[in-house]
Amino acid sequence: MSLLRLAATNLRRNLLRSLLTIAGVSVAVVTFLMLRTVIWAWNAAADEAVPDRVVTRHKVTFIMTLPHRYLDDIRQTAGVREATAANWFGGKEPNHPNEFFQALAVDPETWFTVYPEMVIPEEDLADWKTDRQGMITGDVIAGKFGWKKGDTVTLESNIFEGEWQFHVSGFYTPTKRSVDRNTVMFHWAYFNEQSPGKEQVGWIISRTQGDPNEVGRRIDRMFDERDIQTVSQDEATFQRSWLAGFSAIIYAINIVSVVILLIMMMILGNTVAMGVRERIPEYGVLRAIGFLPRHLVALVVGEAVVLGLLGGLLGLGLAYPIVQEGIGRWLEENVQGFFPYFDISPGNAVLAVLLAIGLAVLASALPALQASRLGVVDALRRVG
Amino acid sequence: MMDATAQQKPGAAAAPLVSLRAIKKTYWRGKEPVPVLDGLDLEVPAGSFEALMGPSGSGKSTLLHLIAGLDRPTAGEVVVGGKTISTMGESELARWRAATIGFIFQSFNLIPVLTAQQNVELPLLLTKLSSADRKKRAQTALRIVGLEDRLHHFPRQLSGGQEQRVAIARAIVNDPQILVADEPTGDLDRQSADDVLTLMTRLNQELGKTILMVTHDPAAAERASIRRRLDKGVLV
Repeated sequence: MSLLRLAATNLRRNLLRSLLTIAGVSVAVVTFLMLRTVIWAWNAAADEAVPDRVVTRHKVTFIMTLPHRYLDDIRQTAGVREATAANWFGGKEPNHPNEFFQALAVDPETWFTVYPEMVIPEEDLADWKTDRQGMITGDVIAGKFGWKKGDTVTLESNIFEGEWQFHVSGFYTPTKRSVDRNTVMFHWAYFNEQSPGKEQVGWIISRTQGDPNEVGRRIDRMFDERDIQTVSQDEATFQRSWLAGFSAIIYAINIVSVVILLIMMMILGNTVAMGVRERIPEYGVLRAIGFLPRHLVALVVGEAVVLGLLGGLLGLGLAYPIVQEGIGRWLEENVQGFFPYFDISPGNAVLAVLLAIGLAVLASALPALQASRLGVVDALRRVG
Repeated sequence: MMDATAQQKPGAAAAPLVSLRAIKKTYWRGKEPVPVLDGLDLEVPAGSFEALMGPSGSGKSTLLHLIAGLDRPTAGEVVVGGKTISTMGESELARWRAATIGFIFQSFNLIPVLTAQQNVELPLLLTKLSSADRKKRAQTALRIVGLEDRLHHFPRQLSGGQEQRVAIARAIVNDPQILVADEPTGDLDRQSADDVLTLMTRLNQELGKTILMVTHDPAAAERASIRRRLDKGVLV
């Protein structure tokens, strides 16, 4: 037997209370991991960005468009190997108005050159290019709506009026897990015919050679003297600036994470404090037989650490099936635009367990101090 | 009540192991002083078995606490085994207690989630003994108190008398010179109390332990070689 084993053995005194505390800590750890994973997954798109891709947008705001002719100008810029453009369509499937998916009007000739991580069979690509109303979709969204090749599909837009008819030309498959499988792409030319603002693109994406930031600056300088100026960013920076628009949500999630940690600390602190209060006579006996105040501190903190560790590990064990395999897979399939993949990162897993232990130490500090300051005689008087 | 010195039995030696001089102890109830011991002098010979009796509030337990180094006198000097413990620092006193004093309490105070052997091993956790040596010494102590067949029993699986014998094993496992017992039979039935007192007498006579016992029980006091009576903070 050792002091640590004695501390751990103390958890058996009130087994139900210990188990409930461990369960409480584990629930807090699961919740904490879910929130941290939301933020982590949100940033995953930026982390997965292709380094040589540069995104050019309107200098004022992302939602303002650029003249289509800028695409040709950019293609002529030194350092640009290929460029393509996209417009946000805001598509909705009329029978499933609450299903979110990404619908883009793109240039069929260049899109898959700029985005090689989306793979499409040659035959489907050829069909798409020749059909002005053709569309390519991700396999997940196609499966959800039951779309098959050759189907005629009607979509609506929450930006553009009317009903838009498309023909399913084929399906792309991703080469990376971070690629959204819920995207619909159709001809920019078809979109341009029907949209009110003619010859406009939302943003332009270039594959570059050399320093992408230098190429981006070159692009922006080119439009400095034009009516509409641009901002060009490497893909990761562009993703992060887009995420910055959700900073209030991320801030709120961080606040909730802290609240969860505080609750976890209070659960632990309450259990430890109750244990100390009940064992005052015993601490008197231990002090009488030679234990020093620091030994009592070690016992109290050690017990809290074991509680925190067990709660942290149980929470981690539960988080993988619940957060990663359950909620995560659902989010990946349904809102992959926001969460390319929803995995508990090793960093977050370690952080959660370390926080459970660290907060256990913090929560036990006051009860430990109280135990260490007990006068031997005062404690023994409560022996009975 | 007979005179203390006249009551000494053959097993008791004459040299004083414990010496208290002009001991005063005052507690404070708010701003009001409550004197408990008032200029008390006492010498306890090595190897004696002493019973301290007296009414509640007479200062018996306080006296025991001072001798055992659990508390400090307001004035006076406590010398045990040639060491002045009343001036020792907290850590030094704790180490001294661990090496010199064995405690026996009325309500046993065993840790319920530890086996008998683990409970007895507790004081040895503070020593540098190996785990194997600690176990061996705990088993020896339990054999001395006749509980070698209860090593792995938890306190709830033992009778009151057995629990107190485990507590005695815990008190002697460090081989201390002195055992202090505060109402050791207070929670026991007559038969168990007799067994415990017989064991304490053996520890005194066979192992030479000096025993100081606070008790209200005249039958328990009868087992002691010296009986002292305390009343209102003075020995009478």
